[in-house]
Amino acid sequence: MSGALRWLGALVLLAGASFFMSDYHNDVYRKLMLWVTLALGYNFLFGICGQVAFSHFAFYGIGAYSVVILLFQLHVPLPIAIVLGVAVCILVALAVAIPSTRLEGFYLALATLALGQLFIVVLNEGGAVTGGNGGIANYRLPDIFGVRIRGPWYTAVIATLLVGTFALLWRLDHSWFGRACRAIRDNAEAAAAMGVNVARVKVIVFTLTSALAGITGMVYAFVDNTVNPPIFGIDNAFLLLFMVIVGGAGRHAGAIIGAVLLFLLPFFLSPLVGHHHVLVFGLLVVGAILAAPKGLIGLYDAFRRS
Amino acid sequence: MPSAVLEVRNLTKRFGGLTAVTGLDFEVGEGEILGVIGPNGAGKSTTFNVIAGTFGADQGEVRFAGVPILGLAQHRIAALGVMRTFQHNRPFSGMPVLDNVMVGAHTRFRKGLWSVLLNRSLNEESERRRKAQELVEFVGLGGLAEADVATLSFGQGRLLEIARALAGEPRLLLLDEPAAGLTPDELARLAEIIRGIAARGIAVLLIEHDMHFLLPLAHRVVVLNFGAKIADGLPAEIRADPAVADAYLGSHASAR
Amino acid sequence: MQDFLELAVSATASGCVYGLVALAYLLMIRPTGIINFAVGEWAMVGAFGGVVLLTKYEWNYALGMATVIAFMAAVGWATERIAVRPLVERGAPILAPILALLGMVMVFRESISVSFPPDPHAVPYPFGLGRLEWGPLGGSYQSFFIVAVSLLVFAGFWLFFEKSLWGRSFEAVALNRRAAALMGINLSRVTSVSFAGGAAVAGLAGLLVSPNVSAHYLMGVPLAIQGFTALVIGGVGRVEGALLGGLLLSFAEQLAARYAPIASGFTQGVPLLLLMLFLIFRPTGLLQARA
Repeated sequence: MSGALRWLGALVLLAGASFFMSDYHNDVYRKLMLWVTLALGYNFLFGICGQVAFSHFAFYGIGAYSVVILLFQLHVPLPIAIVLGVAVCILVALAVAIPSTRLEGFYLALATLALGQLFIVVLNEGGAVTGGNGGIANYRLPDIFGVRIRGPWYTAVIATLLVGTFALLWRLDHSWFGRACRAIRDNAEAAAAMGVNVARVKVIVFTLTSALAGITGMVYAFVDNTVNPPIFGIDNAFLLLFMVIVGGAGRHAGAIIGAVLLFLLPFFLSPLVGHHHVLVFGLLVVGAILAAPKGLIGLYDAFRRS
Repeated sequence: MPSAVLEVRNLTKRFGGLTAVTGLDFEVGEGEILGVIGPNGAGKSTTFNVIAGTFGADQGEVRFAGVPILGLAQHRIAALGVMRTFQHNRPFSGMPVLDNVMVGAHTRFRKGLWSVLLNRSLNEESERRRKAQELVEFVGLGGLAEADVATLSFGQGRLLEIARALAGEPRLLLLDEPAAGLTPDELARLAEIIRGIAARGIAVLLIEHDMHFLLPLAHRVVVLNFGAKIADGLPAEIRADPAVADAYLGSHASAR
Repeated sequence: MQDFLELAVSATASGCVYGLVALAYLLMIRPTGIINFAVGEWAMVGAFGGVVLLTKYEWNYALGMATVIAFMAAVGWATERIAVRPLVERGAPILAPILALLGMVMVFRESISVSFPPDPHAVPYPFGLGRLEWGPLGGSYQSFFIVAVSLLVFAGFWLFFEKSLWGRSFEAVALNRRAAALMGINLSRVTSVSFAGGAAVAGLAGLLVSPNVSAHYLMGVPLAIQGFTALVIGGVGRVEGALLGGLLLSFAEQLAARYAPIASGFTQGVPLLLLMLFLIFRPTGLLQARA
């Protein structure tokens, strides 16, 4: 049972740290953990299963908007809002995944890119329901059993989400399922010949990781207590991809390193390049693909082996 | 006579206007090594791919242990117990050798996704790992279990293909030109391995160009030409068959 | 009816621009299989080339246009050299250059964003703002200019692929890289030329559309999506397909905006919906490649 203890230990550390931080640092820390959670899920979809998709952030948004709309426009109780929000993510994911598994390589990427953009259009034109370009703001997480969860306690919720996601994906990875995913990524035809039901595995992975992104979005909705279209746009979708590539696609540690690096880098780069840090990201990605295709984690491994 | 593991009856496959295989009939029994040979374009690959499930056929039947498999999806055919290798090695380059072999055992895992999530499949996982290690040693790659696939030589990659296919615990093994590109030493090794496989009761169907490799190895040989069977018998019979010699000489003649 | 004809002229002009972007993709996809999402940013750079040469330094239009196109060809050549060639030579999977080019999207966009103020920049009209009446069809000078230039470009490329030896080698590489190499065709030269040509065509598209919409550093991604949608609709196999796809997309967009009973903002969703539908149901497009 040492495995479970390790996860629990990590949770206690990550959640506990939030009690020693100022409000400002707590805010940065929360967002960092959310990005790491998203990166872990995206790494499973892209790095482990080989599906290039740009819809991850759209599902993040679908989760966030769903829970906000259900709670504050339709006045649905919190537990039901959560369940319904997850259901919406799963349904949309299935609707996209089932036809898309037939698409080769980058065509899935483009279909999901279009989906992401379509989502933004719907948000912008959604009138009173979605709040249009301005989005929805000025709400807060309802009390749970009379308890108001906020501050470091909410950070602890995010830490739980992160550790839970990581544990889930880790288990899946170290099993026949994870091997089947990697086999599909490396050579789908050979995988099929070995008995892997390629279409089914791809759909499961897409749906699962998209649902996880949606749940992460629901948690995000109460971090800034505001949701608006630009947050869920294509730039962040690209950023997520870049994080996984630079960190090292296919490795959980790579996703974590990439997310931490690219999330924190702008804070240090600001004095130098203002808000043009995206230029640095672009260069990092090109550099990574050319010089370090296994990402930073790959460099670290090679260094350790020598 | 024991019932055949593989039965092919009246198989016909066309690609547009071209008839690749016509009226093909043959069987493979348990523990038997059947070689399928013929000049280029004779229909060997097409036959192989129809049996393996890469494509369907226009007419005829393919039965595996009495079960019709024509037109089934590849992964279903593998689950039934038919495993194959690829002529141009297709390893999973992102995993070490042992994990490649374990993918071959995909259909033999019994524990579903829920067991995985609840961490109740660890015993099965280590059991499968042990079996995969045995296979790695059986084909002669012992010691390379954790090696990166990219570091394998061509011949070693070929052995990996076979170990991976065996991991599926097949009753029928389909080998696609396994001798291509191997050195004489590697060929001797390969022949030994194939004999060992047949000795375990697994039926082996292999298509081959290299007659020097095939004739001493196979129990029986089927010869194709222009999509049809022109001979079916013991290697010694085939060697002496004038129709077979004609087919090969004829194809040389037309190439001039 | 008059209404429709007005719309038809402007839709044809937009369709030509989408078609040019689709053509840029096609020039690179055919011989290499690489989907270069940076074509949108190339169009944007072309537009900014117009800002610098035509607006700021007020060069003669024809000279300015030719210079921008030549410059873009060089940019395309350089992009291939930096982000594609090393990967192809190393035998990396085809996804690698595609992702590297995505990184280049950011590099191009931010380079322009760093060099110019963030507001839209005007680019001059070659023939001014006037209107032209040509029989029953009426539209701005710019619309007719766009259509004329595009038709020239498409005709030129069609002839190139059909009739010239160079064009035939392109086709050969598109059909079978290994066989083409065995026949003595220089693969890396074909790839360089295809990237140079793709960038030049994309830059031209950006220059043509910019007087109407102004040059803005964010204009690349929407154009990239619209261009790719046009390509998917028309089919990757033929030059004419790019133009057909562009026209169909543009007409669908403008007809929906004008006549459909939905809010105008939703018309942005038209190319996206069409893209998804075609990818799912008809990924090979409407026109088949020649056998």
